[in-house]
Amino acid sequence: MHGLFKWSSKWWPGMIPLVVLWGIAAWTSTATVEADLAARSNAALKDTVLDKRRIGVDGRDVTFAANAFSEDGRLSAVASVEAVPGVRLVNDETRLVPEAKPFVWSAERDVVRVTLGGNAPLPSSKSKLAEAAKASLGGVEVVDQMALARGAPSRFDTAALLLLDQIGKLKEGKITLTDNKVNLAGMARELGGREAVAAALKNLPEGYSIAANDIKAPPYVFQAYKDPVAVTLTLTGYVPDNNVHAALVAAAGRKFFSEKVVDNLKASLGAPSGFAAAVVPALGALSRLSTGTLVVSDREVKLSGDALYDAAAGQIRDGLGKDFPQGWQYKAEVTVKPAAAPVDPTVCQQLFSEIFSKGKIRFESGKADIVADSAGLLDRLIETAMRCPNATIEVAGHTDSDGEEAANQALSERRAQAVVDYLVRAGLPANRFTPIGYGSTQPLAGNENEDGKAQNRRIEFVVK
Amino acid sequence: MTVLATFFWGWLLGAALLGFGMGWIAVVHRAQAVSKVWMIWLAVLAAALVAASFARVVPGRFGYWLDLFLIMFALYLVGCAIGSWLRDWVVSRSKPAS
Repeated sequence: MHGLFKWSSKWWPGMIPLVVLWGIAAWTSTATVEADLAARSNAALKDTVLDKRRIGVDGRDVTFAANAFSEDGRLSAVASVEAVPGVRLVNDETRLVPEAKPFVWSAERDVVRVTLGGNAPLPSSKSKLAEAAKASLGGVEVVDQMALARGAPSRFDTAALLLLDQIGKLKEGKITLTDNKVNLAGMARELGGREAVAAALKNLPEGYSIAANDIKAPPYVFQAYKDPVAVTLTLTGYVPDNNVHAALVAAAGRKFFSEKVVDNLKASLGAPSGFAAAVVPALGALSRLSTGTLVVSDREVKLSGDALYDAAAGQIRDGLGKDFPQGWQYKAEVTVKPAAAPVDPTVCQQLFSEIFSKGKIRFESGKADIVADSAGLLDRLIETAMRCPNATIEVAGHTDSDGEEAANQALSERRAQAVVDYLVRAGLPANRFTPIGYGSTQPLAGNENEDGKAQNRRIEFVVK
Repeated sequence: MTVLATFFWGWLLGAALLGFGMGWIAVVHRAQAVSKVWMIWLAVLAAALVAASFARVVPGRFGYWLDLFLIMFALYLVGCAIGSWLRDWVVSRSKPAS
């Protein structure tokens, strides 16, 4: 041992080459060591969810900066880096991702793009939402401006994905999720889009609620055009469903006695409430015009055209709005068609016959009340009667043979009288008309079948 | 440390061989010996460096270089001790024969 101490006093000259060797080793190895440690630190953090991760190595000291999504995650990430072999010190610059209060997420759609904004709770949900947006919007540019934050409500992903589905149904608009309250605004892409969104929102996860739904839909448009030249009634636009569709076409068939109904209607969701109750009387008003257009846009009804005579124009202007359900508006731009040239009584008779060959005045069953569907036909009769002001006209009521003859006689008289009253209310002088009831004494056809009976129940105008 | 040893075994082996050579020479070398006082001061310095290394007070690259130096120095000393001891053994064996 003493020898070792003695010899060691002469070991110093070797220190010179040792220092040189150390210098070379330090010079060549530092960068390699640093790169190796950086690679292995990153590998150790491969499965840890972090935001803004940054690893710097200085010698064997690792500076580790990152935003973690929970305190546990942060501590375990630091521990994994500390456990990397060769790491001497870890400068811990990690922190928690900031907490958003309230937690807001939004998806905004304009003409060309969808912008995802606000906060997402994790990088995985951020990318999932961006991917889902790209997939469901096919071709529309998706701009991801989401930041990461803690404090998302539970089942955020499910709710956000559902809302993202709805953004596809909008032409433009914004959906905002604030904690668990949903705000929607914008314009639906299609008719019924608003209803489809409202229906889908019922599937929001429990705890989520809708604070405001201001989605508007394109106007729900129904149009009818009465063309006197082609003798057609063209129906275009939308109806709520097939039942209403059938009912409207049937009503049009009854009201427009001589026109062919061209049906171009399509069924769609999104009709304003009371649609059928407003459109049927509006069609009735249109049937009284010589030519005209009916435009129903949401709850606004616009009727324009030419009435056949003054009183009719007044009735159409004032009468229709009263029948409408609440909240509906009615605008009439009804002018009066120039009066046709007067004609001889014989021509008048021909014109009456022509009108009656196309349609009949209808009454409530067993009563003398004229049904509203006959207004168009009556207007046409009144217009014709005005063209021969000097003719006196016998208004003849006829019934079929069902029931007692006396009752039929009385009914035919009352119906003839009802028609005369209608004509007088339209402004024609009462002394030009003679109501006569014939009961079932002058049948046109046999009373054996329903068809024949229907032909026999009638009103005739006979010019005297 | 073990990582450093596996990573840089070449440099460390070099340091050990250098020490072995120096130790081998030192037994019969006529160079001036370091005085006892100096030896003590050097030992204190070495202990201080080792303490600094273990306490990790030297930051960054300097800390790494310090560690590297200390390992190389330790192996140098081990090499010296083995070299000197072997040389002494060889010399003392050959003496009776001469």
